[in-house]
Amino acid sequence: MLTQQILDGLSKFYPETILSVTILVIVFVELFFKKKTRVSGWIAMAGLAAAMLFTFLQVNIPAQTIFFQMVAVDPFSYFFKVLLILSGFLIVLFTFLSDEIRSSEFKTQEYYALLIALTLGGFLMASSVNLLMMYLALELSSLSSYVLAGYFKKSNRSSEAALKYVIYGGVSSGLMLFGISLIYGICGSLDMFAISAYLSANPVNLITLLIAIFLMLAGFGYKISAVPFHFWTPDVYEGSPMPVTALLSVSSKAAGFAMLIRFFLVAFQNAGHPTITTEGLHQYITLPGLHWPEVIAVIAVATMTLGNVVAIWQDNLKRLLAYSSIAQAGYMLLAFVVVSPQGISAMLTYLAVYLFMNLGAFFAAILISNKYKTENIEEMKGIGYRSPLLCVSMAVFMLSLSGIPMTAGFIGKFYIFSALINNGYIWLAIIGLMNSVVSLYYYIKILKNMFLIRPQGDTGAVSFGAGYSVLLLALAIPTIVLGIFFGPLTKFAEYSVQIFGLK
Amino acid sequence: MVNYFFLITLLPLIGFLVNGIFGYKIKNEKVAGIIGSGTILGSFIIALIAFFQLLGMPAEQRTITVTLFQWITAGSFNISAAYLIDPLSVVMSLIITGVGFLIHVYSIGYMHGDRGFARFFAFLNLFIFAMLNLVLGDNFLLMFLGWEGVGLCSYLLIGFWYEKKFTGDAANKAFWVNRIGDLGFMIAMFYILVNFGSLNFGAVFGAAGSSIAPGSTLITVITILLFVGATGKSAQIPLFIWLPDAMAGPTPVSALIHAATMVTAGVYMVARCSILFALAPFTMDLILAIGALTAFFAATIAVTQNDIKKILAYSTVSQLGFMFMALGAGAFSTGIFHVTTHAFFKALMFLGAGSVIHSMHEEQDVMNMGGLKNKMKVTFLTFLMGGIAISGIPPFSGFFSKDEILTNVYLSGNYLFFGLGVLTAFMTAFYIFRLIGLTFYGNPRYDEHKTHPHESPKVMTIPLIILAVLSVIGGFIGLPHIVGPNLIDHFLEPVFASARTILPVHHIEAGTEIMLIVISVFVAVVGIFLAYRAYAKAYKPEVSRNPVYNFVQNKYKVDEFYNAVIVTPLRMLSNLLYKFFDLIVIDGIVNGSGKFFTSLSGDWRKMQTGVIQDYAVISVAGIIAIIIFVLLVVK
Repeated sequence: MLTQQILDGLSKFYPETILSVTILVIVFVELFFKKKTRVSGWIAMAGLAAAMLFTFLQVNIPAQTIFFQMVAVDPFSYFFKVLLILSGFLIVLFTFLSDEIRSSEFKTQEYYALLIALTLGGFLMASSVNLLMMYLALELSSLSSYVLAGYFKKSNRSSEAALKYVIYGGVSSGLMLFGISLIYGICGSLDMFAISAYLSANPVNLITLLIAIFLMLAGFGYKISAVPFHFWTPDVYEGSPMPVTALLSVSSKAAGFAMLIRFFLVAFQNAGHPTITTEGLHQYITLPGLHWPEVIAVIAVATMTLGNVVAIWQDNLKRLLAYSSIAQAGYMLLAFVVVSPQGISAMLTYLAVYLFMNLGAFFAAILISNKYKTENIEEMKGIGYRSPLLCVSMAVFMLSLSGIPMTAGFIGKFYIFSALINNGYIWLAIIGLMNSVVSLYYYIKILKNMFLIRPQGDTGAVSFGAGYSVLLLALAIPTIVLGIFFGPLTKFAEYSVQIFGLK
Repeated sequence: MVNYFFLITLLPLIGFLVNGIFGYKIKNEKVAGIIGSGTILGSFIIALIAFFQLLGMPAEQRTITVTLFQWITAGSFNISAAYLIDPLSVVMSLIITGVGFLIHVYSIGYMHGDRGFARFFAFLNLFIFAMLNLVLGDNFLLMFLGWEGVGLCSYLLIGFWYEKKFTGDAANKAFWVNRIGDLGFMIAMFYILVNFGSLNFGAVFGAAGSSIAPGSTLITVITILLFVGATGKSAQIPLFIWLPDAMAGPTPVSALIHAATMVTAGVYMVARCSILFALAPFTMDLILAIGALTAFFAATIAVTQNDIKKILAYSTVSQLGFMFMALGAGAFSTGIFHVTTHAFFKALMFLGAGSVIHSMHEEQDVMNMGGLKNKMKVTFLTFLMGGIAISGIPPFSGFFSKDEILTNVYLSGNYLFFGLGVLTAFMTAFYIFRLIGLTFYGNPRYDEHKTHPHESPKVMTIPLIILAVLSVIGGFIGLPHIVGPNLIDHFLEPVFASARTILPVHHIEAGTEIMLIVISVFVAVVGIFLAYRAYAKAYKPEVSRNPVYNFVQNKYKVDEFYNAVIVTPLRMLSNLLYKFFDLIVIDGIVNGSGKFFTSLSGDWRKMQTGVIQDYAVISVAGIIAIIIFVLLVVK
């Protein structure tokens, strides 16, 4: 019986198994290389490709839990697995093409293994249905990212970033662990379904539960860089190697969102338990007085406003993108306030769109730093005339991030705002829109420097190899195409959130 | 089996992308030209296949919907990017791609040596792409996309020679005037969406046919707004003023966009929505009246113009008026028939005019031409064919469609407009043969030492010959009842079937029909005769002192009237608003909020101290604040 269940679980755990094996293979293979090599990068890509393949094979698998209710295999985790692999794949390519990493004196051995470990952590974050499992997954992903952030051991900036990241991550996960232990104390279980069942059947001390929930929020908030858990973000993003920053801004964030959504929707809503019903609009809330969507709304507004407002003053591109990614998390959280299939699927849609536009922006930043040796926006004057393809792509990413129509970012925002309006949160939609206006300022500022000011001094054309251009276009084209042809993506997102049985 | 029909629109798009993106690298004109015209030829062939496929189907079932993808899904609102292939859209597609192809080929010769050669072909391809989306779209939104797209291309091509100021002005004028029409179209679309819950043609027309009472306010408002859109795009009163100015663009553009295809978009749209218009008798009368008046006034202006392209432009406005007369009289298929024949002969005449202008070194004033018939034989003969066709001499194509329009107007009982139509037909014959007389007959009035007119190259004359043949025989697809079967009417019948069940049915007696034919031939012959006598001889231009003549020659001062009544007050108002509202209110808000956020940003970023202990403290404080917030405020 026991063996049977483990074997059954393993048969649905191929993508994760493959990633684990890939980590081991990379560590082993690297032992044989004295110098820097790309071999482990290729192995990482092969591992990701194989994991992708086996993930695709799970496309029609019925939603279920494996390993004694630890991990779920369902359309929701499937969506995030696809995103994470895609992002991991692109990051490996970024690493190949980044001069910053190429010129560093360090061996690459841990780098790719850690990258895969982070992806594996993300997989588990997206699919765990047990709080303990969830915590472990979070730690796996966090620990890998601490090391990745400090990959340039001899750079002060990088080391400082890593240290700050460790300390801050430690505090957050400590708070989260405290929250989990309180929940265990209240409900007597770490299983999300059991928690949901217990809460809906038994009276609990609301204050204790609230404290527990919001302590846990520290862990989620830190992963997705929501205010007031965002402080590490600018420092770490600025100090880390650029491909790592890109990875943190997309993969970690996506996995954090997955975890957040699953925790709140499974543990604190009544779907699947038809015996409990409360009246009114907030039908999803199991307990009267437990207003978590309102809290999320406040956090969302604070997050995007702070991100956008502080970004205005930044002139370091990486730091600007860090604040931008904080603001972007705010928009996504906004959709979470609407606990309905429309809201959650809007969130997922936005995440998918965000993957392309944000990675695109980071890749453009990598190329600028490769060729122009600068991260300062003021020093990017007129480079639009010297590298048109790069800067036009950058323009696409920037416009998309600010949500201009005909780009994917517009569609993402459109779905979020329409979900808000349809559910009566007009004020939130207005705040979101005003935030988009503010964000336009700093996104456009970059373009202004690139295009509206003629280059001074050296004005020669700076071009890139074909590989760079292809990857750039591979990110820019989806950013435009998804702005026009987005039916399949929204369908996919809607399908993925069906398992929560929201109405 | 039908999935490849999307290639009809895809090929021009590919042509646009190739010429648009790599155009600056294509040094060889032939390559750009062949890519540009080849893609259109491909579209034409596929449209032909679609046509024959429809012919092979039973008449009532001749509809193929090609769904490309789900475009927008938001709640109950659902729009697919889908093409509707039915007799009406196939006829339009054949005209667009067929005539379009010939004009593309002609342009290879006409644009030879132009710096923007590849750009020109890119824009032309983009135009064809947009126009095909307009006619093939199976919902209002896609149609609107095409509608706006052709407007954009028209703007880009009118101002193609952007170094000259007046081309830019003309392009702007066209764009703005069209915007007024587009606004009508958009509001109509919103009304339709709100009241029918869909923008899909099938759904809207089905619901309209079954649930809307004829003559209800709603349908009248919607159709009037749609018609406002049509008056913009198809240059009808009161929005016709942009079309003559649009002649600033290269001549092939005038032929393709401002004569044969884009300007007929309004006619197509009304025909497509025939069921809606049939339910609104008031709008139908309005269309008839506007059409007749436009036809008449534009023809009077055409008589007095001296710029060869302007004459043809006013002639186009006038002929579009004829098409709207047909629509207003409920003869939708006749309107489309006239679109078809007009596309042939008007494209022909524009291209012929282009050939003349080309050989006269950009001279456009007919007063400075004369006697060209021996120097440019092919151009002259083909132009003559076009002239006879537009005048309405049987068996040339224009005769059949124009006669059918007049017959239908007569049958609808609006004898006043019938009279105007006959008068216009007379003037049409007159002004076209005035043009032919002044250009090709009589004495040369240009400096024969400087200008040596010569026939254009084959790449230009062959399209002329093909169009001339079509202008001659094109009318046989729509013979009068007493002579033979009306093929085009029969082919289009299923599209207009539901509209026809609502509209009154007229039966025509053979005697009446013969009488009408005699009248329309008679006026045409008289017109030609008078023009020939007056202008096909040694002619000495003189400045007219007749105030009425000058008033008409100055286009009834409509531009000046609009300037005084609309533009100037608007400018004053906007200046006032600018000074008060923009500079004080808007700029105040914008700059104020800018300053506000910048200072806010300056303050907030100080929170990012860089000291990790601060971060941890703020985070924990944040959690405590949240808990207090939940306990005190939300509860």
